[in-house]
Amino acid sequence: MDTATDLILVIDDEPQIRRVVRNAIVPDIGRVVEASTGRSGTDAAAAQQPALVILDLGLPDMEGVEVCRTIRSWSTVPIIVLSARGSVAEKAALLDAGADDYIPKPFSTVELQARVRAQLRRARLAPVGSNHVLEADGAVIDLAKPSVKRDGVAIHLTKTEWQLLRTLIQHAGRTVTHRQLFAAVWGNSYGDAQQYLRVHIRGIRRRIERDPVRPRLIVTEPGVGYRFESEP
Amino acid sequence: MTGVRAEPARRAKPSPATWIVWIVALAVATALMLVVRVRVERVHVALVYLLVVQFASVRGGRAVGLTLAGLAFLAFNWFFLPPYGTLAIANPLDWLVLVVFLATSAVSAELLYRARELGAERARALAANARAKSLEESHHAKDAILAAVSHDLRTPLTTIKGLAHELASSGDDRAEVIEAEADRLSDFVSKLLDFSRITMGTPPRDIQANEAEDLLGAALQQAQGCLEGRTVNVHIESPDALLFGRFEFAQTLRVLVNLLENAAKYSATEQPIDVGARRMGAELQFWVADRGAGVAEAERDRIFEPFYRPRGSSRDGGGAGLGLFIARGIAQAQGGSVAYASRAGGGSVFTLSVPWADLEETPAAG
Repeated sequence: MDTATDLILVIDDEPQIRRVVRNAIVPDIGRVVEASTGRSGTDAAAAQQPALVILDLGLPDMEGVEVCRTIRSWSTVPIIVLSARGSVAEKAALLDAGADDYIPKPFSTVELQARVRAQLRRARLAPVGSNHVLEADGAVIDLAKPSVKRDGVAIHLTKTEWQLLRTLIQHAGRTVTHRQLFAAVWGNSYGDAQQYLRVHIRGIRRRIERDPVRPRLIVTEPGVGYRFESEP
Repeated sequence: MTGVRAEPARRAKPSPATWIVWIVALAVATALMLVVRVRVERVHVALVYLLVVQFASVRGGRAVGLTLAGLAFLAFNWFFLPPYGTLAIANPLDWLVLVVFLATSAVSAELLYRARELGAERARALAANARAKSLEESHHAKDAILAAVSHDLRTPLTTIKGLAHELASSGDDRAEVIEAEADRLSDFVSKLLDFSRITMGTPPRDIQANEAEDLLGAALQQAQGCLEGRTVNVHIESPDALLFGRFEFAQTLRVLVNLLENAAKYSATEQPIDVGARRMGAELQFWVADRGAGVAEAERDRIFEPFYRPRGSSRDGGGAGLGLFIARGIAQAQGGSVAYASRAGGGSVFTLSVPWADLEETPAAG
């Protein structure tokens, strides 16, 4: 496999967890370099240019959000966060700070491997341009026109709905937080937009999903945001 | 707490002693001025009375102030406006003096009373703020403890699961059992943490206006595993109307998932499960109905007790007996409820209610 040369940086202060993560990645997915503090981790991220960062929270010297922000300030490398806390607020804060995925502990090795592979695959894809056409679960979405068709039938979306769908598709496979959606679609009118975001998501789902209460394209990340599933 | 309760008591009713003190004060002032009646002008009398009325309002409250204003009005007329010793008034201009005096003293009594109340209100608000702050701090402390416990319990479980996986790949079939048991323990840890959060009274953090279909969809997806191979019918009342409730999404989702899992656990696989959302007055309700055996009359309250397992359910069922207790705790913490009803034709209906949210509350923006 050509992917086995990917370098993955693991930032974790617990040697046992580092061992588990390393054994999940080597040799099938890639090579591993380890760091046990936030400072040495961010240094390694700059010096070694890894293809992916796995960051465990609860480091002795830096907050996880701070590590994410620091790395994000110069790099687009995918960051997967591991956390034993599993709180919605923490998850949202980390995604806002630039993390790409969040895995609650305890995780299974199989799940970790799947999420690492998904992030590596996503990072290799060309970024979604404004003239992107995609087909998912029977819906054909053309961002350039813009138009949506389900089973050959054109579907009308309002301007706001389009902006929302476009933002989600441009980050397909990644959860876009409520805050990020507000910023992208409404500017920053955080307070008023909250419930209208729900109304518009419902509106889009009712038109583009086969079954709006069993959505397969726009998936809810509870309490955090929404995610466009490009590989349903 | 006690300081705040004492506040309204102090402003409620002046004591009889207060009344006596201020009426005596008015009498003394009148007597002193009577001695020098020939030399004082009406304006001096009015000023002295005004002073007494205002002090009485500040010290004794509105009722004392207004009563004294009335008494001073009468005394002024009786003793200091000719003809003396009657309530008649010779000079029409004296009417003006008297009426202005009465109005001034009544208005100042009222203003002073309000100023005092405002002060008391501020003191009460400050006390309430301080209490809210210390409550908030104690909730933060609880959160921090639970986060630390969560970390200390889940991190070793991660290692155990990881090592079990390594063992499994080297062909040891006991590894699968280790991983499954670690999962069971992890589930139990989550439930115990929830249990602590509820019994400690930690308030929900992120209550927002959320939409019913969004929650139903997320619940059906999360319960996918245990609903596999089943028919699940979704009923949404008046599909064109927006169904909005005020609740914490992630927590409420867990309640609904728990109800779906129970429905799957306690009814046969070939029986369909019905789930729906509707508005009921000031509540948004989610209901989950199965065609299982239902819950016996005697057990209907007990199923919501912690660590309770229904009669005849096996200990290996994986349940800690905390699911419904946690479900009800989460619902109640955000002003809602979880209730059981037997279903016509056999089975159970569990209803999760949360406060209804009107979308018109905030102006539209796009």
